Amino acid sequence: MHMDAMKLKKLEKLNQLRLEENEREDILAFFKKAEEDMGIFDSVSTEDVKRMVHVMPMINVIREDVSSQPFTRDQLQAGAPEASDGYWQVPRLVE
Amino acid sequence: MKLYISELGTAARDIVADDMILTTDMPTCAGSKMLDGYKSLFEAEAVTRLRDAKYSVYGKANTGELGLDLLGETSYYGACADEEGKLTNAVAEIVKAEEARAGLTLEVNGSSARAAALSSLTYIKPTYGTVSRYGTIPAVCSGETVSVTAKGASICREILSALAGHDDKDGTSLPQEKCALLKADAPRDSVKKIAVAKALLASVDDETAVMIGAYVEKARKNGIEVAEIDAEELRLARPAWNILMSAEVCNNVSRYDGVKFGYRSMDSTNIDDLYTNSRTEAFGYLLKSVILFGSDVLSTERYMDVYDKALRIRRVVSDYMNSVLEGADAILLPACSRRSYTEEEVKKNPYIAYDESLYTAPVLITGLPAVVTEGVQIVGKALADNSLLDLAELLERGGER
Repeated sequence: MHMDAMKLKKLEKLNQLRLEENEREDILAFFKKAEEDMGIFDSVSTEDVKRMVHVMPMINVIREDVSSQPFTRDQLQAGAPEASDGYWQVPRLVE
Repeated sequence: MKLYISELGTAARDIVADDMILTTDMPTCAGSKMLDGYKSLFEAEAVTRLRDAKYSVYGKANTGELGLDLLGETSYYGACADEEGKLTNAVAEIVKAEEARAGLTLEVNGSSARAAALSSLTYIKPTYGTVSRYGTIPAVCSGETVSVTAKGASICREILSALAGHDDKDGTSLPQEKCALLKADAPRDSVKKIAVAKALLASVDDETAVMIGAYVEKARKNGIEVAEIDAEELRLARPAWNILMSAEVCNNVSRYDGVKFGYRSMDSTNIDDLYTNSRTEAFGYLLKSVILFGSDVLSTERYMDVYDKALRIRRVVSDYMNSVLEGADAILLPACSRRSYTEEEVKKNPYIAYDESLYTAPVLITGLPAVVTEGVQIVGKALADNSLLDLAELLERGGER
């Protein structure tokens, strides 16, 4: 299998997550299952198949660059866990 | 069992929305501790359209975390289950009890389709791009669709007619002339031939097989030709959808970091700990699995072999379904493999939604419209939503035209 505990720990760090050891084992089992399921792709040649990013034919939506619903700083910070004097507050960044 | 996350207390109770659809007068929590109590500054276009059409959107129903699970069981507010531990779904329970005329949900990974099938309700996932996704919590933007659940196809059509339409605020919204084909009075063809996907019938239980058989028989009695197709290509959809879904979820949830909004862990002494602790404490196990899988398939090492391949497989599945729909007006699939699931089973296998997405991935990955009626799923050509609803309504009424 492509994935192992070391690689999984790197992914955790990259995604700002921390798993318990038992969770890690279960997630590795899920990776294994999903990878096995992908084996079905081997039977399909896709070299000449175009990627399908949009499921329906899309056109660019072009409009004037005008703000239609401006929110105030207070409104935007109303849902913040910690904010004061118009700033979002976080723990000290530099020791 | 918590069915509602919030209610307005209005006398009129027409529409219950699931907790993935933004409202300004009720919180939107996406079934996640991360967004517990979150109040949006703007409202979903779907809600605005319904309110403009004089429907009362009165409540928000409990939903699984970001809509990724089987029936809503991963919600931070708890699973909905009966006394015997059989899982149910909040929107489906509310609609079934006639507390609401219809349920408005963001279909992300098949939970609304399964819930409708298990509750013997009617559901439509419209053609992708015909109902605005503006103001929905983004999870899998390339496939998720605002959907309707109701007691009967005629109510689904009525609500869909109010919802469908081009929206400049949604970059994936189709032009108005296409969206207009979903209006109740739009011209459409009737379904004369159904293709039954044999490959996906092999894995359903006896009760589900009997139910599908009965539907086929009923269709035949009403003059509809029914043919079987192998449909092995549809098996490609589940792994491809899982790859694309996980990648998009991974990107979309990167915004939740405990700084600007949402949950913040209070035990952090530096910014990295703040991010990690907040996300670790707030996200559930299934969502964490999906994020990690999505991050892996987008890595340099895996991108071409896995993510790029899945995008090409999406076209293979789409081309296959469209080719079948040139010779038939609808494809019949199961919506799920069984008639019930328990909390205990989901605890033992938290990835049961992945297993069951075998039946829902084909429509999510292609954007085609799907109707669940009398426990089965019928899929049609793009923009043939009304044809599917006509068929559902005809057979729900026992064939009386």
